[in-house]
Amino acid sequence: MVEEQDKLLPIANVGRIMKHILPRNAKISKEAKETMQECVSEFVSFVTSEASDKCRKENRKTLNGDDICWALSTLGLDNFSEVMSRYLHKFREFERQKVEQNKASSNEEKDEVTSNVFGLKPNSSALLEFGILEKGGSSSAKRK
Amino acid sequence: MRHPGAYSGLLAGGLSGKTGPHSLPLARIKKIMKNSSDEVKMISGEAPIVFSKACELFIEELTKRAWMVTLKAKRRTIHKEDVAFAVINTDIFDFLVNLVTENSSKSEEPQPVMKA
Repeated sequence: MVEEQDKLLPIANVGRIMKHILPRNAKISKEAKETMQECVSEFVSFVTSEASDKCRKENRKTLNGDDICWALSTLGLDNFSEVMSRYLHKFREFERQKVEQNKASSNEEKDEVTSNVFGLKPNSSALLEFGILEKGGSSSAKRK
Repeated sequence: MRHPGAYSGLLAGGLSGKTGPHSLPLARIKKIMKNSSDEVKMISGEAPIVFSKACELFIEELTKRAWMVTLKAKRRTIHKEDVAFAVINTDIFDFLVNLVTENSSKSEEPQPVMKA
């Protein structure tokens, strides 16, 4: 069941973004914030529909960031499209770097294990540990 | 659901550059996306993140324009009619015209406001 509020972004968040762009002495009526909430939801729906249409025509199941950028451009929201393309590009780069960093740190961990007690490859030592624990579960079984 | 990471540094500026990962809840954005049409099946993790930024830009743009209307009327409080007016006068927001006119069909011109 989708409640009414689920179709809108939280008014506090919307109000905050509005306030951020306005001068200090500006005030925003509650109704204006509510109207903005509805407009944003319509914006999301509108762009998403267009993007999902493209996915359907191209026989793709998953809607991605590129589809959104494309939809923004197609719907005449070129300014948004350009900014979002750059944002998406940076985001993907950021994600790529994160993955590379994770790989690097897990490689370091593996090195530590091999220099450990067993002198075995990391995978097999882990398997050994698990195997022992599963069999006996007692502390004597752990010692190998 | 992917977790918002420290993207706040990306394209610094705008609210998301200052208040932590995202200024809008990704799960809610995803719900709205799913509601938009039956055709929407799967949504990549990055899509709500892209929309979070896009919505921020959208709100900023529409707010700026509404404020222009408010200023012209020599007021300091943005009313919903100002938002409606901004929508009607901006080509790229044509898709919102029905939404704002059905909302403001009850009231007519922006009324002068008496402070409480």
